[in-house]
Amino acid sequence: MAPLSGESLLIGWLLLPFMAAFLAALLPPLARWLALACCLATAAVAAAIQAGALPASLHLLGPYGVALQPDALAAPFLLLNALVSGAVVLDGWRRPMPGPFLLLLMVLHGGLASAFVAVDLISLYVTLEVVGISAFLLILITRSERSLWLALRYLLISNTVMTFYLVGAAVVYLEQGSFQLAAVGAAGAAALALLLVGLLTKAGLFLSGLWLPRTHAEAPAEVSALLSGVVVVAGIVPLLRLAGAVPALAEVLPVIGVASAGLGLLFALVEADAKRLLAWSTLSQMGLVVLAPVAGGLYALGHGLAKAALFLLARRFPGRDLAGWTGRPLAAGLLVPLWIASLSIVGVPPLLGFFAKSGLDRALPGPSGLLPSLLSVGTAAVFARLWSAPLQPAALPPSASVQADPAWSPGVVLLLAALVLLGAGEASRSWGPALAAEAAKAGLVLAAGMGLHRLLQPLRRSPWFRLPDLEGFPDLIGGIGVVGAGLLVWVR
Amino acid sequence: MDAFRLLALLILVALLVGFVGLLLRRNLFLKVMAMDVMGSAVVALFVLVAARTGLQSPILLAPAAAETATTSVPLADPIPQAVILTAIVIGLSIQALLLVVITRLSRVDPSLDLDSFEMGSGAAGGRR
Repeated sequence: MAPLSGESLLIGWLLLPFMAAFLAALLPPLARWLALACCLATAAVAAAIQAGALPASLHLLGPYGVALQPDALAAPFLLLNALVSGAVVLDGWRRPMPGPFLLLLMVLHGGLASAFVAVDLISLYVTLEVVGISAFLLILITRSERSLWLALRYLLISNTVMTFYLVGAAVVYLEQGSFQLAAVGAAGAAALALLLVGLLTKAGLFLSGLWLPRTHAEAPAEVSALLSGVVVVAGIVPLLRLAGAVPALAEVLPVIGVASAGLGLLFALVEADAKRLLAWSTLSQMGLVVLAPVAGGLYALGHGLAKAALFLLARRFPGRDLAGWTGRPLAAGLLVPLWIASLSIVGVPPLLGFFAKSGLDRALPGPSGLLPSLLSVGTAAVFARLWSAPLQPAALPPSASVQADPAWSPGVVLLLAALVLLGAGEASRSWGPALAAEAAKAGLVLAAGMGLHRLLQPLRRSPWFRLPDLEGFPDLIGGIGVVGAGLLVWVR
Repeated sequence: MDAFRLLALLILVALLVGFVGLLLRRNLFLKVMAMDVMGSAVVALFVLVAARTGLQSPILLAPAAAETATTSVPLADPIPQAVILTAIVIGLSIQALLLVVITRLSRVDPSLDLDSFEMGSGAAGGRR
């Protein structure tokens, strides 16, 4: 028998989650192990890509067929997918999972893995729809009336923008006779604008991403972790790939990114609900990811790991209302991970978020390199509200606690360990005097953020301190329309 | 104006009508129907793109029939047709899922009005 080539290994890896999902439907007791195996395989592929052991591109079924590119851009996203899915599986290891949760998780995992490596418009369309449908079914997993409406809203929006995306793909084919991402640049502004509407909405950016906060905040905690950790970046990866292939995008995308980061921060600072605060912060951080395609992968990895950990922790928050946050003590198993994960998002040194942020600073030209730091001040002020909870004394007898959860969730521990270890790996690679200046800057950002938090705290009691509600269904569709029309006029 | 441009324009109109319907209709069922109008417009667009080179679908004939058939008929471009077949299947399954959810939602409000599902700004958060 011939040795397995890199290509057949890749195809086997892409098929594995779907096969595992079928098998899990037949043999439910195996489901957890199968899901874990899928995550391990994805992590191994990410490592193999970094090591250069796999073919960099793969064309199936001829020139009009499926084009895959498991390259260095995809590697951090694949690792993110593996770690977040793995953490969600581990987090629920002791609890009975509702119905087909693990099966859907595997399908979602497989869809995401394919979306991260696909480089032709049609494969991307199919994988993004697989991701959308499985995310929809995951939101529905609790079967409450509220989740019915949320899931309906999610799929309706997602399918509508994918319709625009498909029109864009048709125009690209009409002009260029090809569905490759590389052909988009020469296909004209209208095609690009239509494709962008689809991808920007999927990625939860700016006005077209207004669907994100309510969906991410109201879904069950495990699903929120998946949605905010990896599902949003399914739209980011094609955007980053397009930014490399289309010069016109290089001036559009940073502006949308900054606008999105500002919008998300503004709403997060005013928000009164802990889970919605996390969701608005996702919208803001996605804006930073698209600022620079070179640094985007690492940034998305840092953010996704930390945000997934925060959402997994949110399941055990004593309440979601931030107004009484200082009066409700949190257990050490909750408060310490909360601190570590949110410090990483703010960009405090030994953690991965710091290296992601300094990479972003370096990738941006001239004075715009200060922009991420300025926005990080706002991020620090956002998370300062979560840090204000006191530590619960550990004297509580274990028999009094009702829930059988261990004090430290294994999934959260996995995510935090990844944040620390990957941060250490980055530190050993890029250690130098420039890093000390970056660390000092991070300290200043943190202090400024705390100051801003102190400044805003008294204002929150006044009745005028609130923003308009932009999350009604007509607002979402209107936001998509505004972004689409703006792009049609703007992109040249 | 040639036929291709006219048809493309009509498809664009259908797409926009669907989008406006999605924005303005208050009834959830009609919103999903509006989305379907958009989907149909895209299908028409791909069929139109495929028909630029010819109208005959490029289907392989049996050897005996192939000898007798006239080979001069211009064939349609198979690539967009294959692509849209995939998209139709995906669109159909999404439509089915959405309609199932709508049947469940109709137990909450049989008139399926948007407002009865959308909570006010303050009430949305703050509870688990």
